[in-house]
Amino acid sequence: MAVLAPPSSDIDLWEDASLADPYPLYQQLRDLGPVVHLSAQDAFAIPRYDPLREALADWHSFTSARGVMMNDHVNSAFTGIVLHTDPPEHDVMRKVLAAPLRPDQLRLITPRVRAEADAVVDRLVHRGRFDAATDLAQHLPLTIVSTLVGLGDFGKERMLEWAAATFDAQGPVDRARTRAAFPKLDEMVAYATQEVTAEKVDPAGWVAALYAAADRGALRPGQPEAMVMDYTGPALDTTIFATSSAIWLFAQHPDQWDLVREDPRLIPHAINEVVRLESPIQRFSRVATRDVEVGGHLVPEGARVLMLFASGNRDERHYPDPERFDVRRRPSDHLAFGHGVHACVGMNLARLEIRLLLEALAAKVERFELLGVERAVNSTLRGIAHLDVAVS
Amino acid sequence: MKLTFRRPDGSHGVHDTDPGTSVMEAAVAHGEDGIVAECGGSLMCATCHVYVDPAFSDLLAPPAEDEAEMLTCTAAERRPTSRLSCQLVLTDDLDGLVVEIPEEQV
Ligand code: HEM
Ligand code: FES
Repeated sequence: MAVLAPPSSDIDLWEDASLADPYPLYQQLRDLGPVVHLSAQDAFAIPRYDPLREALADWHSFTSARGVMMNDHVNSAFTGIVLHTDPPEHDVMRKVLAAPLRPDQLRLITPRVRAEADAVVDRLVHRGRFDAATDLAQHLPLTIVSTLVGLGDFGKERMLEWAAATFDAQGPVDRARTRAAFPKLDEMVAYATQEVTAEKVDPAGWVAALYAAADRGALRPGQPEAMVMDYTGPALDTTIFATSSAIWLFAQHPDQWDLVREDPRLIPHAINEVVRLESPIQRFSRVATRDVEVGGHLVPEGARVLMLFASGNRDERHYPDPERFDVRRRPSDHLAFGHGVHACVGMNLARLEIRLLLEALAAKVERFELLGVERAVNSTLRGIAHLDVAVS
Repeated sequence: MKLTFRRPDGSHGVHDTDPGTSVMEAAVAHGEDGIVAECGGSLMCATCHVYVDPAFSDLLAPPAEDEAEMLTCTAAERRPTSRLSCQLVLTDDLDGLVVEIPEEQV
């Protein structure tokens, strides 16, 4: 079979209107083909589930070592994070980073996290009306960065601002939104790589364990400085947005909330369904290391290739009735945490935080009433900035 | 081919399955909700834990290194017969396989 040139499209995923409502555009891209050339960025995009999953599993052909973001400034600022490496180096770093995030280790901290989750939920339910995107969703991720990661209060108040900027800075460089985020991105990188030091962090925390790994030779000197960002950068807005999207979906689908209240064992599946439908990280990219065929179409060596997680997760070829929110769907093969060697190393922590919040809410809240929604517009992330809800 | 799940409450789920699917996939497809399988088979969660009936132990290749490592993370007690069902791919010679679902997964 002849290898064809991919179809081309002038859809621009980084216009403000596209960022606010990307799903109809993903649909058009899926209809066009298994891989589509995006003329606006001279890049390629993989919008369908099967080829996307296959590409994510093929790190030889699709490297992360040249950055997974859309401009050189941010890709070079993030040199040295695990996300920007390939095996075998990747596997060594990942093993160190993953140690405190394994299910057995997380089980040890579960009572503490549960106590925090119960306390926030008690407080907010008592209040009756709150902002689920801030009051509810931000507390656990921020507490974890300061306590378990071990950064203390040092930098904590700016962490959220930095996290949003980090993802905003990942767009194409010709966008004002992207460039506007560069100063804050640079500030965050300077903080993580220079101000965070072995002396300042909690000796029992996860960052201290990175320094200890370097001391015993498991990492090279200098590596922990960049790897601090593997614990801070991707841990905040991702989990926060997944949490607020969950409340937003349950508020609109009370029948689904009833199912979860009747059987809280559905919560792990509901979390998968939330991130399938409202994937917090909409896309990252790779660079093709050779001429590679995607679904019968040629992607040339050196091309930047977008992995459209959020589009694959709504592919009607894979998920029947993909736009329906269904907590009994069990879509655990979704791509919202990625797939393959780079699959999210923090997924168990994210799941734990969201599960404990939903369990506490399921015991106390019968209905969420939506009083106002303000979306967060970001180059990479999908989520909600403010979600005004009343509970009963 | 036939696959049987012994559930924590003592009841059995007997299902017709095809070779090439994993025990985890078969469990999900047939609504065996004692197999949670949060991570969809990426060896990240250990919530697809099963005890393999000893009659079938010899037919299974031992766990690979990454499965063995994740087996230390199961919520229920780990036994010599413990496996992660996302790593058990059904083949014709496993017709009739029986696995037990533990009390706890998450
Ligand atoms: C709902 C919350 C989260 C979502 C949706 C999410 C999503 C993702 C995705 C899609 C990837 C794959 C990247 C790729 O293939 O290029 C990834 C990787 C990663 N995530 Fe998460 N993440 C979440 C929470 C977290 C948390 C809490 C942490 C830290 C504790 C974390 C740390 C990481 C790291 C370090 C990687 C890179 C892994 C590697 O390259 O091997 N994430 N995440
Ligand atoms: S499904 Fe997660 S380890 Fe088997």
